[in-house]
Amino acid sequence: MKLILKTSILIFTCFITALPQGFDVKAKGVQTFSFKDDKGRNQASFHSITPFDEVDGLTSEISGQVSFDVKDVKNTLKGEISLPTASLKTGITMRDKDLKDPKWLDAEKYPVISFKIVKVTDVQILAPNKLKVKVTGDFNLHGVNNEIPVEVTMTYLDESAATEAREPGDLLGVTANFSITLSSYNVQNMILGKRVSDNITIGTNIVGTNKF
Amino acid sequence: MNIKQKITFAAGLAIIVTVFIIWIVNGTYVFTQTQVLIEKQDPLFGTTYQEWQNKFIWGLDLTLFISAISIIASTILFFIFKDKRKNRNEINS
Repeated sequence: MKLILKTSILIFTCFITALPQGFDVKAKGVQTFSFKDDKGRNQASFHSITPFDEVDGLTSEISGQVSFDVKDVKNTLKGEISLPTASLKTGITMRDKDLKDPKWLDAEKYPVISFKIVKVTDVQILAPNKLKVKVTGDFNLHGVNNEIPVEVTMTYLDESAATEAREPGDLLGVTANFSITLSSYNVQNMILGKRVSDNITIGTNIVGTNKF
Repeated sequence: MNIKQKITFAAGLAIIVTVFIIWIVNGTYVFTQTQVLIEKQDPLFGTTYQEWQNKFIWGLDLTLFISAISIIASTILFFIFKDKRKNRNEINS
């Protein structure tokens, strides 16, 4: 009985590890994608909501690279995405100035906000060219590094006439949404929790190319 | 309260009511905005992304500012009109 149980566990483990953990696309091997985009299509946004006020911010100045083996995203995914703190815009010029102020994000002292992939904890195949990936990474804001979990959706498009119109090469679309608490990044402000929520929702929607 | 004072009072009140109506119609935003985020479709990836679009949104700050100016102006005019009538009465007597 024990032997049957052990064998079953072994077969199950082998089956799970043998499952594809990547894309089923034309491309092969390790691919590197750059998210540098001069057209301003790539973006990261944040949202804060309190009973008193709602703030939306957006930047299109994203840069960074990710690389992975097309067939094994889980074990090979690595990279870093960053944006200049001063590039965040909220639709109100005075509020943009406040955002860069030392009382808030201190853009002069901490000019970059970044996310660096540490490990992939789970890969779920949504379509042959679409994966939902659970990533753990270092989110750096206001000079503080915190490891956070992020759920990322990756869409791989092989080079075609449709992708060519956007950019040359294979394209990788990445969307992610996650939350952070400003107080855990040493952003201490009297208005925090009143006009601006401590809990900030962050979203990214970026497209990268492997021909750069 | 003479007729001019009544007109001043009514005009001041009308301005305040109007700016508050404009504020409510604009969506009761706290701060006046000159840009708003609009959602756009990315047909290639089937996702949505956002873009800033120039649009003026009337906020509570502007509403209170105009209301305050209206109150101050109405108060000043109210006293100016009151003084004139008083002076005229004094001359007549």
